[in-house]
Amino acid sequence: MRRDIVVVTLLWALFTLVGEGIAFTVDFLPVQGAEEAAIIDEAFRLLLVLSIPVAALVLAFLLYSLFRFRASDGELQDGPPVRNHPAVARLWVLGSLVLAVYIVFNPGLKGIRELEANRTADLVIQIEGVQWHWNVRYPQYDLSYEWALQIAMPVDTRVKFEITSQDVIHSVWIPAFRTKMDAVPGKVTTLYVTPTQVGTYEADPNFRVQCAELCGTGHPLMRMTVRVLEPEAFQEWLEAAKVQAAMAGGGMSGMSGMGEEMGGMGEGSTEMESDAGH
Amino acid sequence: MKPVFKGLAWGAIGAALGVGLLVLLRLFFGLPGWKLEPAVVMAYLFGLSGWLLGVGVWDYWARGWLGLPNRPYTTTGWRRYFDFDTDHKVIGIQYGVLLVALFLIAGLLAMFMRYELMQPGRDLLNSAQYNRLMSLHGTTMIFVAVATIMGAFGNYLVPIMVGADDMAYPRLNALSFWFVPPVALLLVGAALAGGFDTGWTGYPPLAAVTKLGALFYNLAFLTIGFSSILGAINIITTVITMRAPGLSWGRLPVFVWSIIGTAILSLLFTQFIGLAMLMIILDRVAGFGFFDPARGGNPVLYQHVFWFYSHPAVYVMILPGFGIALEVISHFARKPLFAYRWAVAGMMGVVVLSAVVWAHHMFVAGMSEKLLIPFMVTTELISVPTGLVFLSALGTIWRGKLNLKTPMLFALAVIFNFLIGGITGVFLSDVPVDMHLQDTYFVVAHFHYTIVGGGIFGLFAGIYYWFPKITGRMYNERLGKIHFWWMFIAFNLTFLPMFWLGIHGMNRRIADYVPELGGLNRWVSLAAFVLGASFILFVYNMVRSWVRGEKAAANPWGARTLEWLIPSPPPLHNFPSVPEVVDDPYGYGVPGTVHARLSPSPSPASD
Repeated sequence: MRRDIVVVTLLWALFTLVGEGIAFTVDFLPVQGAEEAAIIDEAFRLLLVLSIPVAALVLAFLLYSLFRFRASDGELQDGPPVRNHPAVARLWVLGSLVLAVYIVFNPGLKGIRELEANRTADLVIQIEGVQWHWNVRYPQYDLSYEWALQIAMPVDTRVKFEITSQDVIHSVWIPAFRTKMDAVPGKVTTLYVTPTQVGTYEADPNFRVQCAELCGTGHPLMRMTVRVLEPEAFQEWLEAAKVQAAMAGGGMSGMSGMGEEMGGMGEGSTEMESDAGH
Repeated sequence: MKPVFKGLAWGAIGAALGVGLLVLLRLFFGLPGWKLEPAVVMAYLFGLSGWLLGVGVWDYWARGWLGLPNRPYTTTGWRRYFDFDTDHKVIGIQYGVLLVALFLIAGLLAMFMRYELMQPGRDLLNSAQYNRLMSLHGTTMIFVAVATIMGAFGNYLVPIMVGADDMAYPRLNALSFWFVPPVALLLVGAALAGGFDTGWTGYPPLAAVTKLGALFYNLAFLTIGFSSILGAINIITTVITMRAPGLSWGRLPVFVWSIIGTAILSLLFTQFIGLAMLMIILDRVAGFGFFDPARGGNPVLYQHVFWFYSHPAVYVMILPGFGIALEVISHFARKPLFAYRWAVAGMMGVVVLSAVVWAHHMFVAGMSEKLLIPFMVTTELISVPTGLVFLSALGTIWRGKLNLKTPMLFALAVIFNFLIGGITGVFLSDVPVDMHLQDTYFVVAHFHYTIVGGGIFGLFAGIYYWFPKITGRMYNERLGKIHFWWMFIAFNLTFLPMFWLGIHGMNRRIADYVPELGGLNRWVSLAAFVLGASFILFVYNMVRSWVRGEKAAANPWGARTLEWLIPSPPPLHNFPSVPEVVDDPYGYGVPGTVHARLSPSPSPASD
């Protein structure tokens, strides 16, 4: 009895050590492109670190019992008639309650407070979802284009996304920023991010806007490149974009740097059209 | 078979009547007579009534009312399962076989989905076809998960386990089953009518503007909702009013408790999914605009009403899995269920808390920021009552004499899988982390770990555990164990990598993804095919054993609950006379204790 408890405790410690070792050496998370991503990654890592001893405890008991208390085949023997151990049960409830309350505060409330701390922005980007493409506007720069294949923003600048939809619910997700907000018809939702790292879709596919709410046939292809640029490069991009937007009469389907990488938008759209026929 | 054909014929007549009535009404009001979607709704509502009449659900009342003699139930043998029958054991098998068949079909759909996802780009299916397959897979599986354990094992076993001869309302019970075949037909009909591409959640505005098939989905959900509510009323009434003498609440088997929790959830919350579906149907066919912002509606409202049911519904799927797992673990560890009252309290705590967590599905839906914190708090607290199930399971196997037969392996797998499912749920309940992981494969992996890993593994534990009781024959233990290890390993190899995919930018419900995720997706697909193949072995074992398996003894496991005191399969009215319960069913390790005595045996008290 005592020996069993000692062995299980050791096993628990061992599993915890191995688990934490993996948690601290393997990088589970993609490129961290924004201040928000840092907050969310910290929350994720803390939850991982806290959950490993819990999982290890259950696994240690489960695996040890499986080998140690296995009955020999063919004979039915009863175990000891132990019905409860109130101290253990109380400790179990107390432990899980303390843990649950703790994670409400950290990372829960702490993360929410950090994410909601700064409600100012230097750059506003308006994104409108339409089945099945995005329309983008930069109201401060008088730039707007439809069927957008990319958006750009300067690094280390507070950006506010104003998100809405023309038809059904879409969702703006930028994996590198770890943030996501639904585009709901009839209302404007907002998302604040501060990109901290220069990057593009070509360098890392997590720099993209991905529609994350099922919106019909074209849903998987509702993507845009996200370009996080140095401030000067952003200004150049703006100028080029304005020229192209003017040439395309508001459209920007010809904007460079997209095409192939986005999974053949052309093929996708013919497929959609032929599908809408029946 | 005759009642089924009669039901179909009457259903067709009803559908024609419904359409005719609609055309007349429309013409009367000066509208063009024909409009497709209202016609579909009318055809279905009248067709459903016709089907139920034809099958014979109303015979008892209608014939009595009209002064006609009532038809005795004379069907015997396998034909009983295709007839209107009020025996709870027949109804349990009807539910079980139909829903396991649906489970296998929906699983096959998943194989096609994984084939498409094996590599980036388009292979087998285009995006529209993929969305339809995915929606049908999800919806069918949800119906299976909601209804199988309560419908099949709840019906078959709860009356026996409380010492009753049938359910409290046998005809209501049959009615609740005969709602299910129309649901299966509607799902097939949806596929034939062009499918629906809204996922199982059917969010408007998409669901209100998309293909005709989505209307079939709404009607199917509405119908299975009726079935759930009626089944829940029946179970609750049966347990409250028909327990054998001596079977106090504190002596109820834990499985019965889990079914009670499930029934309470179904009874209280199913009406909300009915409401959500009704509102969408009215939006579509009558132009109400509840969810259409152009007409003053609000699309986010649907999500509140939908999840107000659908979050409790995930506990409808998982609580019976817990119940079966704990029941099996006690009987196969041959130890009293550890901390029985704490486990029951835990399940009831889940029932209560599940009512106030729904908006955690909507952290990024654009609802008020003030709502984020309360729903995060309630969701994280639900881990405390859930943890009591783990306490009970681990406490029971500790120093037990584990008899590792197939049901026990599945029951222990419930604990292992739900450990992963539960912990990843904590990640998703955290608002900041959920901003990244919402609507990704992390969520897909999480709910497959809970609903399949907990609920469906629990279902399989139950199938193997009660197979000898229900069929009167033993399954092949060797094949059962092979099936377990095959399914368990393949399940984990399939769903564990999905967490990584979700974190790394794979959103759910997509036929195509960024090329960088190709390698891991190929792995997941291959593992999924191996998982799918494991069910061939299961079906072979079940069919072969049912037909020519070795005859089962009354109590092959040496278990103690009431169903093991009567022959396998149980006779028509279950018990020769009302059993007398003298103790709880978990008296392992104390020589001479029994759960119940079947009279008439010479009463030991008298001598």
